[in-house]
Amino acid sequence: MFHWLEKNPFFFAVGVFLVIAFAGLIEILPNFAEASRPVVGLKPYTVLELAGKEVYKKDACIACHSQLIRPFKAETDRYGQYSLSGEYAYDRPFLWGSKRTGPDLHRIGNYRTTDWHENHMWDPKSVVPESIMPAYKHQFTNIADLETAYAEAVTVKKVFNTPYDTPNGVKLGTWDEAKAAALDEAKKITADMKNQNVKDAVAAGNIPEIVALIAYLNRLK
Amino acid sequence: MNALMIKGLLFAAVLIAATIYVVKSMNIDLSDPINIITIIGAIAIAGLTVGVAIKYINQMKTDTSGGKLADENWDGIGEYLNELPSGWAYSWLGTAIWAMWYMISGYPVNAFSQIGQYNEEVKAYNTKFEAVHKNADTATLQQMGESIFLVQCAPCHGTTGDGLSGKAHDFTTRMSKAQVLDVIEKGSNQLGYPMGAMPPMMATGQDAEDIAAYVAGGMKGEQPAAFAACASCHGADGKGMNGMAANIADYDEALITNVVKNGKKGALGTMPAFHDRMTPVQIKALATYIKTLKG
Repeated sequence: MFHWLEKNPFFFAVGVFLVIAFAGLIEILPNFAEASRPVVGLKPYTVLELAGKEVYKKDACIACHSQLIRPFKAETDRYGQYSLSGEYAYDRPFLWGSKRTGPDLHRIGNYRTTDWHENHMWDPKSVVPESIMPAYKHQFTNIADLETAYAEAVTVKKVFNTPYDTPNGVKLGTWDEAKAAALDEAKKITADMKNQNVKDAVAAGNIPEIVALIAYLNRLK
Repeated sequence: MNALMIKGLLFAAVLIAATIYVVKSMNIDLSDPINIITIIGAIAIAGLTVGVAIKYINQMKTDTSGGKLADENWDGIGEYLNELPSGWAYSWLGTAIWAMWYMISGYPVNAFSQIGQYNEEVKAYNTKFEAVHKNADTATLQQMGESIFLVQCAPCHGTTGDGLSGKAHDFTTRMSKAQVLDVIEKGSNQLGYPMGAMPPMMATGQDAEDIAAYVAGGMKGEQPAAFAACASCHGADGKGMNGMAANIADYDEALITNVVKNGKKGALGTMPAFHDRMTPVQIKALATYIKTLKG
């Protein structure tokens, strides 16, 4: 039946490739699908958090900070529980990073607070004297791009079925609703902040980048 | 002894001499056993090389074909009937048995898992840590506490524990006046003391001011009359009646443990809970260290 294959090395090679590829797929894909499912209780990012994630990307935090805690004692002692792939299910893209000039940030929300981030982003040396991190004062005046963040959320909801607007979940709604929700969230954060300009901006309805970034960092748990 | 043997031995001698020459010229430290072992290994390899070469050269020179030919031949190329070498047979059987063990129990049960390795490592370390530090003395605890403080606490409280000019709690004193007033105004129900919640507004106006000045001043001088309201839970000396309520005079183990465990929201800001980042021994060590910070 397969004699003709033995006489045709090219098609034989194609056949071998197909068989091995098929075996590989049924071995790899189910595990892959299983591991990338969101962990229980994981919620998608709110619009404000997404705006903060954009700031994180824009200011290239990833160049010095990772977001992936490996299962080694030395790392879990310092950064907390090791990371699971299901925790990144709503990260598009994930920001694992591969450089640790600064510490890992995957669970920063567990052990740093809004006021600490405020001090630290304004002047890192004021809280960590040996820090080599630059100050990010422009985040206190630049206004966060909520429109892009909202568009991103709507896109992942439509394209990837990210569960927004589910009962007890994160509400997305219309642009006006989302903007109002982001402003509420921002006001809760500025209540813990000291910078008067930031407080004034939020009270006037503009959200500085620092507030969005803190919302994002506090959510990393 | 034939000529081949003599040539072989001469060659081996040259190899060994070369080895010794290299060892001498490189000034290798012979007191290190690993170097001695390496040299012995080199000499053994030289000897074995010569021995094996002599055996096969002799065989090529003297061997004649023998044995029984198989019936089949392939275009005139025949094959001797040889017994299967026993070493091969035993290796094959051994492999078959190992494969069965591997498929049935070895792989599913003993498959490598990174998380499994991590769990074992952490468990072994924690057991050892508990055993070593079960009865640690104060000096050890203090030293351990200092390194924990520098990693976990210093980013907010500063490396010296002074709270970085009011950014976080200052460990060089017990409480500032503003902090005492804040607690009196808002009460406190976050540290999980057996005495329970402290209601807000236990004292107001001048009474609160007097209490705050007295507590912030290190409980020295004359006790204001209004302090009686505090003394009913915190004790007349402010030490918290042996862990029933917060110690407002000094830092003690109960206070540090409760704050680390529950976190705290106070006049200066919010501190997250850190309990899942430290073992009980480490919290005790931290308390021992923090006690030394207050002058």
